[in-house]
Amino acid sequence: MRLKTGIDIGAAFDLVGGVLKWLAPAFLLPVVVAIGYGEPFWPFLVAGAITGLAGHTLDQITGDKQGAAVTPRESFLVVATIWLLVPIFGCLPYILGGGPQLDRPIDAYFEAVSGFTATGATLVPRIEELERSILFWRQLSHWLGGMGIIVLAVAILPRLRIGGRQLLQSELAGPTEIEQLGDTIRETARRLWRLYVVLTIIAIAVLGFIGWSGLDDNLTFFDAVGHALSVVALGGFSTRTISVAAFAPITQYVILVFMVIAGINFLRLYRFFVQRRFDVLTRDEELRLYLALIVIGTALIAIEVIGGGVESGEAGFRHSLFQATAILTTTGFATADYALWGPLATVTLLLLMFSGASAGSTGGGIKIIRHLLLFKLVKRELEQTVHREAIVPIRANRRVVDEKALRSTIVFVLLYLLTFAVGALGLVADARRAGEDLSAFDAFGAAAACLGNVGPAFGFAGPYGSFAPFSDLSTWICTILMWLGRVEIIPVVVILTRAYWRS
Amino acid sequence: MRIVVLGAGHVGRAIVDSLYEEHEVTVIDTNVDRLTAVADRYDVRVVEGNGTTKRIIREAGIQNCSLFIASTSREEANLVSAMLVKKLSGARVVVRTTSVEYLDAWREREIDVDFMVSSELETANAISGLIGIPAARQTDVFAEGKIQVVEFDVPEGASRDVIDRPLREAELPQESKVVSIIRGNELTFPRGSERILAGDRIVVIGSPGAAREWSRLISREHQRVDDIVIFGGGRMGTTIAHVLLDRGIRVRFVEGRAERAREVAEEIPQARVFHASAFDPEFFDRERIGRATAAVFALNDDPGNLFSAVLAKAHGVQLTIALAHDQTSLKVYERGGVDVAINPRQVIAEELVRFGHDPRLRQIAMLDDDRFEILDLTVRAESELAGLRFDEMPETGSVVGAILRNGDALIPHSKDTLQAGDRVIVFVESRRASTVERVL
Repeated sequence: MRLKTGIDIGAAFDLVGGVLKWLAPAFLLPVVVAIGYGEPFWPFLVAGAITGLAGHTLDQITGDKQGAAVTPRESFLVVATIWLLVPIFGCLPYILGGGPQLDRPIDAYFEAVSGFTATGATLVPRIEELERSILFWRQLSHWLGGMGIIVLAVAILPRLRIGGRQLLQSELAGPTEIEQLGDTIRETARRLWRLYVVLTIIAIAVLGFIGWSGLDDNLTFFDAVGHALSVVALGGFSTRTISVAAFAPITQYVILVFMVIAGINFLRLYRFFVQRRFDVLTRDEELRLYLALIVIGTALIAIEVIGGGVESGEAGFRHSLFQATAILTTTGFATADYALWGPLATVTLLLLMFSGASAGSTGGGIKIIRHLLLFKLVKRELEQTVHREAIVPIRANRRVVDEKALRSTIVFVLLYLLTFAVGALGLVADARRAGEDLSAFDAFGAAAACLGNVGPAFGFAGPYGSFAPFSDLSTWICTILMWLGRVEIIPVVVILTRAYWRS
Repeated sequence: MRIVVLGAGHVGRAIVDSLYEEHEVTVIDTNVDRLTAVADRYDVRVVEGNGTTKRIIREAGIQNCSLFIASTSREEANLVSAMLVKKLSGARVVVRTTSVEYLDAWREREIDVDFMVSSELETANAISGLIGIPAARQTDVFAEGKIQVVEFDVPEGASRDVIDRPLREAELPQESKVVSIIRGNELTFPRGSERILAGDRIVVIGSPGAAREWSRLISREHQRVDDIVIFGGGRMGTTIAHVLLDRGIRVRFVEGRAERAREVAEEIPQARVFHASAFDPEFFDRERIGRATAAVFALNDDPGNLFSAVLAKAHGVQLTIALAHDQTSLKVYERGGVDVAINPRQVIAEELVRFGHDPRLRQIAMLDDDRFEILDLTVRAESELAGLRFDEMPETGSVVGAILRNGDALIPHSKDTLQAGDRVIVFVESRRASTVERVL
């Protein structure tokens, strides 16, 4: 199926087919939950069957491509399509069994994209009314998308012995070179997933214990599992309408700790936890900036929250710290309705949405390493105005960063801001058309929250609210922003250029 | 003695020059012109061919030779041929290298040759010795720069911490030892009761840090040495930079090729690297090159070094050190006003030849017009002094200034013992040098 293009579309879609085939069994988990709670399980069986069939068909029509390599060029197409296609199948259960709040296809697709991209923006105003199995599928979609279906594919698909590095690089390394954890890239992907699974199990165990021991009476085991799946993926979906605010402070602190951990580069986490390389974390520049941003964000918000008399003492500190972390790591959980806080807090939160978590974490956004590199670029530029002939290589963690990577970092950030601007403009333009009441700040917030895969924004789309009041067109805009944010824009822009398709 | 020298380049020629009168020398090289040039000048046998092959090495007569010196600029070729010679004969094998990695591997006994030297490192150590101790009359470094021997003339203005009081009460820098006081024509190996007086000449052995501290104590006029500009980012330049940076001296680099400048900047993050011409007065002004305490010129061509050095001098650089790739350049540099000229090939040739004399002897430095020598020897197991405490040792007319044990440098005191296998830096009167060599 090699068309007259420079792209081996067959190989690309063969790989997409392979990923879909592997996604199909995931639908069996909510089936178990549905049976357990006595809810209808057929929506998941049907969705799983359709997904499996689609994957198999794609596999068949692309022919035997076992040996075909996915080159860096194809990987753009693969990444872009996977994050579009997977939610199409992932939203089937919502359409089939989501009830009145979710059964419109556009709403279901929004919810699925928000799930798989680990965004956490929801269209459901009253979450508790959804069936348990549907709620579980929402949380599970976070978990599947968080570490990345693509990383999982590299770990398990035999055909990805070739070309896997490229995919992994685009998925999680950010602008710096990916460092292998094992002998092969496949082994690296496997170890990342293993770490991810272990972290999830620990989160389930700790949260489960808190609920079981009565430390938090509101936290059922179902809530514990749901929030564990969501927190390690830095997703943001909750099983409660008022998010984590429904739980006791101890639960909130535990979730906070897991958010901080999941916001760290998993390659570093692996070296730290598994290989006992303690210096890896203490010497990591990105990590230091990450923690510093949490502290600064918390302080600014606390000035508003405690100083403004919203909350005081421990609660004020807890809300400030939790919210700064939840937004910075692009999780989007909430312990309070921060949309009601004063401007110092809300503007800080809006700016934190542009920070993002660390590269190689499960979070979204611009990513802290890019900010670090931009800062160093600015510093170098200033230095070179004084010392014209000076040659100053830029280093991250003592390693020289390639000039090409620096350029692409600038390009990425510019594209990110441009996408944000277009998105926000689109939202206000559509609000004017539809006659919705959307303030400028709320439009910025919604665009930033979707593009950064944060989730809840401000105004009606705030942490206790939902995106339901948006018109269909605005829902589409938000959906596209989430998709662009998850694939980090560049692959999409690349496949839209003419040069990409030419041989 | 029969000696085979691999390589008829600059270093090879320098070696031949110092050996051919007393020994039977054979030179191997692939280049006929270079061989002819050597053969025309010296009475040596030449073999044309690839010295990394058994056939050529045999042809050069390796079976009957007792010393093999691999001196080409290609270090892998030197190593391969050294390995072959080790297998084929019992000759001592000396290898020239530019790589610090190979040097380290050799020190850890992973490369089986008898001696390995790097002209870059030797030269860098020599330059760093000159730069770091502005008050020194003369200085030399040993043991890869871990130990420095410095000769000072003590002026009236020297710190009262060290002069006019018995040594045992004086506040001398740690990790150092006064091995000799020369007063008039008289040399003493001082004991604790001795005093240093203004007008004396003293010889101190110690760590580089201690040597710098001594320099400050002796002369407070010399400002602290910092900010050295190195012109030329070749391997020589970067090696010098590494050595200086290890001693805490700030380094700036000027390199004319953009790509190389980038490589240097990546290799040495602590140094400020400029992609600029070494001949551009405006650049000198802009970057205040004239304020540097010293400048080292390690460009590839000697005329360039001279031009740049004179320019730097005109801009106010206090000390200019230029590398000479050619013997004649040394004289030209002197005329041009360059403060110090160093020929790296000469440095390494001397080193290689010294080793040829006594394999245990790593280095000799001559001080004070050859009246004294500093030996760098390893103590044999059967040495009669091994196992003795220093205060129990018989008078030998020498002082052990420093010991290298398990890679660490230490300055011995009277209660310490000398052990077999110790590498010692010995200060000795020239006429008694051979006695010391015998007993150790």
